[in-house]
Amino acid sequence: MTGDPPPSSPHDPGAEHALRIERRWASVAVLIVIFLIVMAAVAGVHQATMPQLKLELVDPRTLHVSGEFIESNLGTAVEPDGSVTVRAIGQQYSFVPQCIVVPTDTVVHFRATSGDVVHGFLIDGTNLNTMLIPGFISTATARFSTPIESHMPCHEYCGVGHEGMWGKVKVIDKAAFEKLAADRRRLTCVD
Amino acid sequence: MSDETAALSPRDKWFRASVAITAGIAIVAAAVGFIWLPPFQAGARFQGVWNAICQAAGLAQPAPTAAEVVTAGYKTTGVVFTPGMFQGAGAESVGRGATLALRCTMCHGARGMSQANSPNLAGQYAAVVYKELRDYKSGARTSAIMQPLVVGLSDQDMRDLAAYYDYLPRPPAYHPASAGPPPEIVVSGATMRNIPPCAACHGGLDNKTGSPWLDGQPAPYIKAQLEAFKNGTRRNDISEQMRNVARNMTPDEIDAAARYYSSQPP
Repeated sequence: MTGDPPPSSPHDPGAEHALRIERRWASVAVLIVIFLIVMAAVAGVHQATMPQLKLELVDPRTLHVSGEFIESNLGTAVEPDGSVTVRAIGQQYSFVPQCIVVPTDTVVHFRATSGDVVHGFLIDGTNLNTMLIPGFISTATARFSTPIESHMPCHEYCGVGHEGMWGKVKVIDKAAFEKLAADRRRLTCVD
Repeated sequence: MSDETAALSPRDKWFRASVAITAGIAIVAAAVGFIWLPPFQAGARFQGVWNAICQAAGLAQPAPTAAEVVTAGYKTTGVVFTPGMFQGAGAESVGRGATLALRCTMCHGARGMSQANSPNLAGQYAAVVYKELRDYKSGARTSAIMQPLVVGLSDQDMRDLAAYYDYLPRPPAYHPASAGPPPEIVVSGATMRNIPPCAACHGGLDNKTGSPWLDGQPAPYIKAQLEAFKNGTRRNDISEQMRNVARNMTPDEIDAAARYYSSQPP
């Protein structure tokens, strides 16, 4: 034991001053934390950031053998509820499908993963931006209002061929898409 | 001055206040992140607080099972590569492979060096030889010559053959300065057309498991394979990795790559 502490007098002007400063700094720290939380919340609500809704696992070694990421099942699928689902994979050094086609004014669900290392999935000119991590299924939801043709560069260094890895996204008119979808179950715009 | 020995005790009001504030912020932030925010995302449905917490905290969920899977109208490769799957193939495996390889010598050469524009197998990666044998057997890769030869091979036979050819000395990369600089497609690819450099997977820059060693391979063979990938008659590459590359290659690039890799020491 170190004996009684020196009594701190509330009337000591030095101590009172220190207390005031300490209180102010504490308030500043709390305000900064609250500001950051509000900022994250606003970004989340307006979809500036898209955290993964849920965690789904997949075996990256057997993507090509079975499951929803076999090559014939990749591309855009029309769902019974009118939305479309795009399944894609990233691998050294291309996206499959190389060209993704989706309709305008439709809810588009992206489901994508990686067959080897971490890749990036980003559609130029939109706020769609996520990582493709082997073992995990990345999901994102979007709605495109105008027909555009966009690029999808891999934005995570994935190996020495990384700079050659990109895909295309074509948003086409809904009516034109429906015509395409009439006789094909998985659509791509790979020629 | 406050008492230093009592600073981290519940008796200190600063300590009490800061713990309370920190806990309060954590609780509010967790409520915002786990419960309030997730339903704002399209496609999300609020299914109770506990479920929201589990989802946001990253508890693995099963993939939706209702979705139908469209299967290919053609055979694709069933080979699954796992790290180290060909490590530890001993001398016995190599010996058995050498015996089995007697039936391969007609086209692939007595020591794995072809005289007939068939691929050289000497020094080829075990993963490559094994995968192609498996694909010929399953029909994922078609060849009127190869298919009858692999019908009777067991999985172990194919591993032994792979071990044997892996053991043979590989033809060295031979690219003398007099041959000029290597073609663009080999060392840089064509980034504007989604073509990585050949050397990024086939050695030179890096090697991707399952990609063959190409140096010294006959030019007609390389050219024929690139064209088969390009026009979709060969489809045993895992998840279209070669079809995607070859699809965008020009005939000149195919020629240049085939010529470059076929170079052998005199």
